[in-house]
Amino acid sequence: MARRQKAHMGVDDIPVSSFSDIAFLLIIFFILTTTLVATRGLLTEFPSGERSEKQEKKTTTVCLRDGRLTLNDAEVDLPRLRRELAALKLADRTGQDKVVILESAGRVEYQDYFEVMASITQAGGTICIVRETGGGQ
Amino acid sequence: MKRPRKRRRRARIVIPVASMADIAFQLIIFFMICSNFAREAGIPVKPPTAPNLDRLRESNTAVSIDSRGQIYVQGRRVPDALSVEAELPGLLRNARTTEARVVLFRCDRAVGREVFEPVLDAIARGGGIVAAIGERDDRKK
Repeated sequence: MARRQKAHMGVDDIPVSSFSDIAFLLIIFFILTTTLVATRGLLTEFPSGERSEKQEKKTTTVCLRDGRLTLNDAEVDLPRLRRELAALKLADRTGQDKVVILESAGRVEYQDYFEVMASITQAGGTICIVRETGGGQ
Repeated sequence: MKRPRKRRRRARIVIPVASMADIAFQLIIFFMICSNFAREAGIPVKPPTAPNLDRLRESNTAVSIDSRGQIYVQGRRVPDALSVEAELPGLLRNARTTEARVVLFRCDRAVGREVFEPVLDAIARGGGIVAAIGERDDRKK
């Protein structure tokens, strides 16, 4: 009897039958937590440099001021801004000619700013931010 | 004389389950490698909308501004835009390619100019390329 018990104690099996269950639970966790939704947005590299009055006169300027939108001092709405920027064929230009100055003043929400940024980027322009205080870039 | 009946042999169907755990762990490894855990999951941000937005690639660097105008770098709150400018060179230290310089910029749509503009400026000054996150809304075309 004592012999038999010893023989039983010698078996060292690690229970692995529940491994697959654990693994599948982990899979379910990852499936649920993984985000498959693509991040959307716009990519812009703001050029650095000094502000030059001479250049500003030639460069396309979009201004957002207290909810009002102007393109080269002419008041426009967003669909018109898109049309006008598309007509400029900024994508075909190179270097400094691609630059569009984006000026903002007063009360401007990010939603409006983002829509203008998206319009310039989609037209193929390079955005140059000009801040009301502290000068431009 | 009765013939002794032959016993029918029943075929035992055995499903091989020994490799199930291996398959499962392979799948786990796949999901772990492919997952992008939301580093900034706790920051309440309602992104702006615009039509025809491009798909952006994930980036290791992220700057966020929540609806209360609080600024976060890599999910950690910072006091102002100057801190963003100070922290970015360190984060982009090993960025050798243009793609590596991309900084995901997540900002709430209601945030005012006086908050987001200095941050955009700080990202540009810190050497980052701004990837402004938004939601596609093709009704605005």
